[in-house]
Amino acid sequence: MLAASLSLIIVSGVILYWIQPHRRAWAGWLSALPPLAVTVWQLATALPFLNGDAGTASSAKAALPNGAILVEQYRWIESLGLELSFRLDGLSLLFGLIISGVGAAVALYTHYYLENDGRQGYFYLSLFAFMGSMLGLVWADNLLTLFVFWEGTSVTSYLLIGYSHQSAVARGGARNAFIVTAGGGLALIAGMILLGQQSGTYTISEIVARPGLTDLDLYPAILILILLGAFSKSAQFPFHWWLPGAMAAPTPASAYLHSATMVKAGIYLLARLHPALSGHPMWLWALLIFGGTTMLVGAITAVRHWDMKALLAYATVSQLGILTTLLAFRSEAALLAVVVGILAHALYKGPLFLVAGIVDHATGVRDLRKLAGLRSSLPVTSAAALLATLSMAGIPPLFGFVSKEALLESFFESGEHGEIAGWIAFGAATLAGTFFVTYSLTLLWEAFLRPGSTGEAEGSTRESSGHIVQTRVHHAPAAPFVAAPLLLAATGTAAPFALQPLDAFLTSAAASIAGAPVHKHAALWHGFTPVLLTSLLAIAAGVWLFQKRYYLRRALALLPENLRGVVLFQNFLDGIYALGQFTARFSQGYTLATQAAIVLLAAFVPVAVALLQIAPGDLLTPSGVLPGAPETVLILMTVVSAYVTVRIRTSLGAIVSLGVVGVSVTLFYVFFSAPDLALTQLLIEVLTVVLLVLVFTKLPPDIRPPMQKLKQIRNVLVALAAGAFGFFLVLFNTSEAMQAAKSISGYFLHNAVPKGNGTNVVNVILVDFRAFDTMGEITVLALAALGGYALLNAPRVNLPSWTSQRPESESTESRQNPTAAETEQSSTESPAKAGEK
Amino acid sequence: MPELYLRFLNRILTPVLLLLSLYLLLRGHNLPGGGFIAGLMAAAAFQLQILSRGHERVRRTIGPYLNSGIGLGLAVAICAGAVGLLDGIFFKGVWFSLNLPVLGYLKIGTPVIFDLGVFLVVVSVATSYLLGLSRVSDAAALLRQDTDAPVRSDSPASVMPDANVEPSHRAEP
Repeated sequence: MLAASLSLIIVSGVILYWIQPHRRAWAGWLSALPPLAVTVWQLATALPFLNGDAGTASSAKAALPNGAILVEQYRWIESLGLELSFRLDGLSLLFGLIISGVGAAVALYTHYYLENDGRQGYFYLSLFAFMGSMLGLVWADNLLTLFVFWEGTSVTSYLLIGYSHQSAVARGGARNAFIVTAGGGLALIAGMILLGQQSGTYTISEIVARPGLTDLDLYPAILILILLGAFSKSAQFPFHWWLPGAMAAPTPASAYLHSATMVKAGIYLLARLHPALSGHPMWLWALLIFGGTTMLVGAITAVRHWDMKALLAYATVSQLGILTTLLAFRSEAALLAVVVGILAHALYKGPLFLVAGIVDHATGVRDLRKLAGLRSSLPVTSAAALLATLSMAGIPPLFGFVSKEALLESFFESGEHGEIAGWIAFGAATLAGTFFVTYSLTLLWEAFLRPGSTGEAEGSTRESSGHIVQTRVHHAPAAPFVAAPLLLAATGTAAPFALQPLDAFLTSAAASIAGAPVHKHAALWHGFTPVLLTSLLAIAAGVWLFQKRYYLRRALALLPENLRGVVLFQNFLDGIYALGQFTARFSQGYTLATQAAIVLLAAFVPVAVALLQIAPGDLLTPSGVLPGAPETVLILMTVVSAYVTVRIRTSLGAIVSLGVVGVSVTLFYVFFSAPDLALTQLLIEVLTVVLLVLVFTKLPPDIRPPMQKLKQIRNVLVALAAGAFGFFLVLFNTSEAMQAAKSISGYFLHNAVPKGNGTNVVNVILVDFRAFDTMGEITVLALAALGGYALLNAPRVNLPSWTSQRPESESTESRQNPTAAETEQSSTESPAKAGEK
Repeated sequence: MPELYLRFLNRILTPVLLLLSLYLLLRGHNLPGGGFIAGLMAAAAFQLQILSRGHERVRRTIGPYLNSGIGLGLAVAICAGAVGLLDGIFFKGVWFSLNLPVLGYLKIGTPVIFDLGVFLVVVSVATSYLLGLSRVSDAAALLRQDTDAPVRSDSPASVMPDANVEPSHRAEP
């Protein structure tokens, strides 16, 4: 059923693309159905297990170890030991429900957000492909399966972020996000392979159940590689900057990918491998330091941004940092806080993004400096925003408060147990919590609550923009458009009062992270504890900072621009481009003769090195047979015609004598009975000579100019090196040592008929034994043809200088310009063409 | 009028060359021949066509098929390799025998089909170059007729492979 659900999601994406959803009013509802069905199915499957020991459930539960609800396996690439295996347990259920549940809301929302957009179908296609990858990622029970879906989310998110492909900002954001996450993916696959090899299995549930992985010698390498993957995906410091850049995505994608799902993939991975990898000091400190930094950097910089989406993005970064910090610890309280935090975040940040999208859609503005009084113009939307924002601020009794209490308490608990890390995390989280309150209130007040009139004291005195006018709504949102965030926000609001029924669900997820049953329970009210006091203090401090936010913003604006991650990364990319250009210019920016010289010398160097290491006596042929009469004649013919080619002063003459060289070589093949080679060489000679003659007869008769002395010497040296390369290579091959070594030709000769069903060994090698090589060759040939096609059919590339020197033939010039450009190509390209063939 | 000979030769030789190329392709697995050689042979046939009838007419007849020929050849080659996947490994040779009424007993394997793909790629690539180059050289000839008198000394031909030469070399004896 898991695989069937995945297929359902992906197929419905294709169907949605196909029905052209922008033309169908009902497409929004239709699109919400598949994710909704998956949500309902997951609930239905999981409920009997979550409700405990009743009848059939317990017997089935006994059959599946480690709290798995459902296990599925499919054969995939057996020769590589790859299989598609899926497993549903508490943690995957939590993520699966968020992905499909929020997915349903986002799918509905998308139809209204992208109304009248002809590419809506494309968006749905990418969105559902992403949803499928994400579900596959959290359901996978094999490291490699997980990795495939992991990369799937990277690619699909690239498509989603770059949806507005005509905007440079969107393209840049998509590119940065992709480079960072896919680069992290490379580290991740290396870490996964190390982990799989070291633990002897790629099945996650088996790895997790295996003790002692932290004692491995390679543990630090595994940890660093996997953390690189997880941190880059989950936008942890120092990779956090890609997430705000990804806000160029359409809002549904931001809401879905960059708050509820994709950025949680790294968190999911850390949680999934938590039983196997945690417990080592390295794990604790790495997660604590990077998570803590991320949480503070995100929380503090969020205040400085005017764009609603940027503010939310940094808030998300901060929340991700909190989750990472929590995962550093092993206590039940911390793991439960992770689960509550993930759920709460999805239920407040998702709707907030959606609200930002509605505001953008309805007013065309996302800038907090220009927004005001949405409370009266978009009342329902503002209600959803109010619920979600207060939850984000952690105001009791909302879900965000439960989450914050849980996390502060878990840090406090660790601290009380004498862990210094616990106190550090507690302090950082309190500070971050203060800023949470500040930016939540800023968002809420500036966009929604402050009256949109000129009398707004703070706004008019502090801001240079002057009066803040009530934002005009020119495009009232449709009811289902608003319903999506409202539903999510309402769920988030109701959750704290339904902790009793939710409990089984939350603890089973926490148990999957812990790898053992969890007895801790989330609660709305913990009593008057130091934690509650801290929490209230943080809220008070946050409110105070909110009132002083203009000072705060001004202080943050003083931070140097070019220390920002995006700028640094852009510099890095520019460096890579510059390096590429330098390399290209260094290796390819010459005339044909120079480039050929480089290639030939590069071939000669290894032979020269080998020559220095070998005694001259070893290279002499064992038999010492001198060439007979026919060979001697051929040798003379080759040498003489080669000399003529070099010395002759006309192009046509050179072409013809070059042909003679080729034919002489062909005759060598004939004498040494290599008919296939001979045929090929002969045909190539014929084609080349005819081709060159074809080109050069049409050109004016031309006498080659005498070459510069220096160049002549260089060419002679290169020619000698190339000749030495061929000569000594043959000698190496015929030397006794090489003959004594095991040659592969025997294998081909013996197996051509029994295994290859052919008596022409050359051909059998080409199309059977070495078919992969041939495949590569014809691919290169095809690419060369494309390049040649482009060059030969280009209307004009560079006009040669002589075309502009003739003012008297203006008319003919303009008519003939394209051909003039081609002429230059023909004369410079043709030898290259001949060489390629 | 050299084209007269060529046209006459063309009439006779083109079909012969094409048939020969097909023959080389089919027998390639057991006797000298194969996709590369057959492809070059067919390209030689088209070369003859270009020489005798001009590249314009040849382009009109076979030009449209060249680029798709390259793609088709690659596709055939990959498909031939993919058949082996059914047996477990990419590019594993799979052989089956046919008993045809006229040709008799015929043994066909995926390597032979692969060779067909090679043939298609080679013939398309080579012919595409031949057409492109002959078009360019014709254009050059046209240009030369147009601009013969005034710019004798630095005509396009001065842009030789050895390109960094001063255009004034004609002044030297």
